[in-house]
Amino acid sequence: MSSLKDMLGWVRGLEPVKRGAESEIRLGFFMGIPAIFKLRVPKPYMHPRLADILISQRTRKEAKVIAYALKHGIPAPRLLAVLPSIGLIVMEYVQGVTLKDYAYRDPRGALLYSRIAGSILGRLHEVGVAHGDPTTSNYIVSSDGGLKLIDYGLSDFTEDVEDKAVDVHLYRRAVESTHASIAAGMFEAFLEGYKGVLGGEALKVIERAEEIRLRGRYVEERRRSVWRALG
Amino acid sequence: MLVLGVESTAHSFGVSVVSDSPPYILSDSRRVYTPREGGILPREVAAFFSRVAGEVVREALESAGVRIGDVDAIAVALGPGMGPQLRVGATVARALASYYSKPLVPVNHAVAHVEIARFLTGLRDPIVLYVAGGNTAVVSYSEGRYRVFGETLDMPLGNLLDTFAREVGIAPPYVVGGMHAVDRCAEGGDFIEGLPYIVKGQDSSFSGLLTAALRMVRSGVRLADVCYTLREIAYSSVVEVLERGLAHTGRREVLLTGGVAASKILNDKIEAMARVHGAVYKPIPARYAGDNGVMIAVTGMAAYKWGYTIEVSRAFIRQRWRIDQVDVPWYYEFP
Repeated sequence: MSSLKDMLGWVRGLEPVKRGAESEIRLGFFMGIPAIFKLRVPKPYMHPRLADILISQRTRKEAKVIAYALKHGIPAPRLLAVLPSIGLIVMEYVQGVTLKDYAYRDPRGALLYSRIAGSILGRLHEVGVAHGDPTTSNYIVSSDGGLKLIDYGLSDFTEDVEDKAVDVHLYRRAVESTHASIAAGMFEAFLEGYKGVLGGEALKVIERAEEIRLRGRYVEERRRSVWRALG
Repeated sequence: MLVLGVESTAHSFGVSVVSDSPPYILSDSRRVYTPREGGILPREVAAFFSRVAGEVVREALESAGVRIGDVDAIAVALGPGMGPQLRVGATVARALASYYSKPLVPVNHAVAHVEIARFLTGLRDPIVLYVAGGNTAVVSYSEGRYRVFGETLDMPLGNLLDTFAREVGIAPPYVVGGMHAVDRCAEGGDFIEGLPYIVKGQDSSFSGLLTAALRMVRSGVRLADVCYTLREIAYSSVVEVLERGLAHTGRREVLLTGGVAASKILNDKIEAMARVHGAVYKPIPARYAGDNGVMIAVTGMAAYKWGYTIEVSRAFIRQRWRIDQVDVPWYYEFP
């Protein structure tokens, strides 16, 4: 127990790079390998037991999805260590730039990467996982020229067309809001890559993604309409 | 300018007169239907509304010290809500508008819950958690309308609490002295493991929680512990959806509205969440958390000033009128 505490203290001492709603991201070395330390933080508004249970469940789930994706040859960051009891995942640090930043620099190259991004998401969906947040900020063009999909914090095992369509929609929204001038081309290339993997199966998802767009929620999309009477 | 508002979407029949100058709220009359046993039966409530409608309208005008002739417009909640009750309010409002030749203003009940919270707190551009017996949603304004960021995939939060309380025999009455039966039962309770916490992306789900909690009670687990844990999980999950909405939209202000907004514990949780993110949270007075005529009149006033009226012959009720189907052009000019 005290070694876990020591570990936690040591991680907290690392250089923070990002603070999300769910977790704190820090950069450091794990056994000499450049690594990302993702630490889930307890929610101050929850009973401490509930907060602990959720942290442990979600850490486990995220690690499980990453391991599963890697097993199926999907380019996700490699896992170095998982400590559910303190909410810590240690992953390889993927050196490179986000596809978002890359697109500003090299719009033509971004089209090619967008196609690969589509095929990566297609493969993830093919094996029954929805990513939950596949924006251009979560695709990393690594220094060796490869493309990786990161951050599986909102991912889930699912065969639901709606969940997969939300992924496609989120990518579309991301390119439309940040790369307006090349958005159409990027999304088209993305769909080509996506269809290249899933074939006819892709059409159902793309059709549903279009429905989601037509619901008019450009900023805050949601799943289903439920206006219920008192009961 | 004076506007009279009529609310009748669920269990409250409310009428209010508001003015566009201080003190704004001139009157706030209401009658709330409380079932002796079981839940709300729409036709019984509608019959109750029909009996009290006349006296509530008279009371609202008299306590405001105005006559119907002084009123500039009649606002009415045409939905969303339960059909039989909505018809009573709509009938009353149409009759007043038609007989006294007043313009009739259609108001969406959900929009009105958000607008009264903005009106009372002065927070102008918030992310809003709307929790009531019939609705659970996180909304914020974008491009002309309130957009739904996340909501319940099955039953609303208020419905969860009411149904649980009824099934384990601690209600009705559901609310006594401003305290819900589940809150009362949770006193002295402790957190126990085994109940499901479900947040999918930006939506919450409660039906699995209800079933599991009822099963626990039947298997002999202490009722106070189940009440405590049920409430803890249900409140935490909606606050978490709200938190994700706050992070996603980058808003700086947080509001809570709807019947469940009267809960002290839910207020405390939201305040703690907002503090972490450096956002401003202001609670609304408990009196205006639940359904009331004031919120309809206040929203009707804003809509009327933007030229929204409806022909009496076309003022049909809309049971499933979604919040994101309503244009809110007055958003930045209000309150």
